[in-house]
Amino acid sequence: MLKIEVDVDPGVRRVVLNGELAMETIAVLQEVVGKEGEHTLELDLSGVSFVDSTGLKGLLDINNDWQQKGGQLLILHPQPDVAEVMQLVGLDKLLTQNGALTGKKR
Amino acid sequence: MRQCYECAQKEPASPCVECKDFIQQGPLRRVPSPPTRILLEDEQGKKYPADILALNTTEFGLETEAPVPGRYVIRLQESLWIEVAGVPLKGKNNVHVFDILCVHRRQGTARRLKNEEYQLLAGSTGQLVAEISRHLPEHLQDLVREKLLAELEKSELISAIRVGKVLKYEGGRFRCLSGRADLDLPMEEAEKLMRQATRHAEHRREVIISADGQKVFDFHGVPFDHRSGGLLAFDITEVIEKERKIHRQEMEVYREAISAVTGGRLHLVNSEEAKKLLSKGVEIAKGEARQAHDIPKARQVLRESLPGIFSHRQHAIALCLSEAQANVLKHAGGGCWQARQAGDLVRIIVQDRGSGIKTSELARATLMQHYSTKNSMGCGFTLMLYYADYLYLNTGPSGTTLALDFGNVRTDRLDLEKITERR
Repeated sequence: MLKIEVDVDPGVRRVVLNGELAMETIAVLQEVVGKEGEHTLELDLSGVSFVDSTGLKGLLDINNDWQQKGGQLLILHPQPDVAEVMQLVGLDKLLTQNGALTGKKR
Repeated sequence: MRQCYECAQKEPASPCVECKDFIQQGPLRRVPSPPTRILLEDEQGKKYPADILALNTTEFGLETEAPVPGRYVIRLQESLWIEVAGVPLKGKNNVHVFDILCVHRRQGTARRLKNEEYQLLAGSTGQLVAEISRHLPEHLQDLVREKLLAELEKSELISAIRVGKVLKYEGGRFRCLSGRADLDLPMEEAEKLMRQATRHAEHRREVIISADGQKVFDFHGVPFDHRSGGLLAFDITEVIEKERKIHRQEMEVYREAISAVTGGRLHLVNSEEAKKLLSKGVEIAKGEARQAHDIPKARQVLRESLPGIFSHRQHAIALCLSEAQANVLKHAGGGCWQARQAGDLVRIIVQDRGSGIKTSELARATLMQHYSTKNSMGCGFTLMLYYADYLYLNTGPSGTTLALDFGNVRTDRLDLEKITERR
């Protein structure tokens, strides 16, 4: 299960996720955020309790798509377990290179 | 070598075809009738026709215009030729003994003829080919002969192991033409193969295991018309056994290497060891993975059944279960899973009946971070290596079993940078 809430401000699309970001849900997220849009795409993961390798791959794809169109992806507030998995596959490095990943609570 | 009694007594008016003592006697001497026609080729490439009057595995009795003494080559097939030397003292007029100096085959040389080469020259195979193709329309005869000779050449390759039988099939019946009469073949399977070969008018090949599982046969069915054909059956039991042995040795090498680079964490196990993994402890949850939505369901079932002492490892266990199931879905189309508990140990087992991970891909599939034979991130195994304490993998053509152990207290985490290759 993954609940997706989208809120658009000028230049920023905020997406708040609740649930599990995994094989069976990632396609829905990719469809919702598309391949381009505002300058910044914010994904708030504070409500995401689980992410698997397919979910991680999906995040990477979204990042690449948005960057190609000159945009950026920010991943916000991952829970510790999720942050650990992202770190393991090197996704954190990739995103922090753009200053994208932030663990700060809102 | 004894000289021909007849010839020693008088000059024969015609070549001594019937001569009994022309070349060494013994069970291996053959007198082809009619004589088999071959070509002798000298060093300059000049060719002399010759008739084989008699032969054994080390010498020929030939009638030929080719000068003796002299060295010649007899080409039988592209990869089979024989060096011979004419012996002037043995024979008279145009009939002489030619010693076999060397038999050249694709896989090496020898001093004497092998059984089926000998048969080929002695005419029994030639007779087979001729007999089988005799009733065919002329334009098909050469084609069929060619096919059969090609089959024989193939058989020559594996005859090092064991040649079986050549049989003629006609209207549902078999007749043994040559080969080991004592060799018991699974005739029901043989007939099925020949029926198919003749019905579809094409060459059929099948590897068949005998009913008792003791023998493995390689069957070649060559159709001649809608109701008859030739069957070549080879006993390849020993080849298979050799292959298995090589595979076992290969697996042993991988086993040690993989265990070493993963700090003893990932173990390749054989099917018996895999069975044992399934019997330890008690089952606390199980399910199937047939489609993507079975995976979150399995996570839910697992979370509900996991004893409290493992709550701090729940995320790791759920993640590994999901990754293992995702692999099964991607590579084998589905499978089943179970979770077992034995004291302070939880074991997740995921099984499928897919075609297994190839030995050559095993190390990359399990160790290389972004390697995957299917298009995905390919880090599933990396995650499992990181989160599980011990992993046991059994894989083969009839399926794959992966068991993941999680202790109540986590062992030191593996340094992934050390073992995985990042692309």
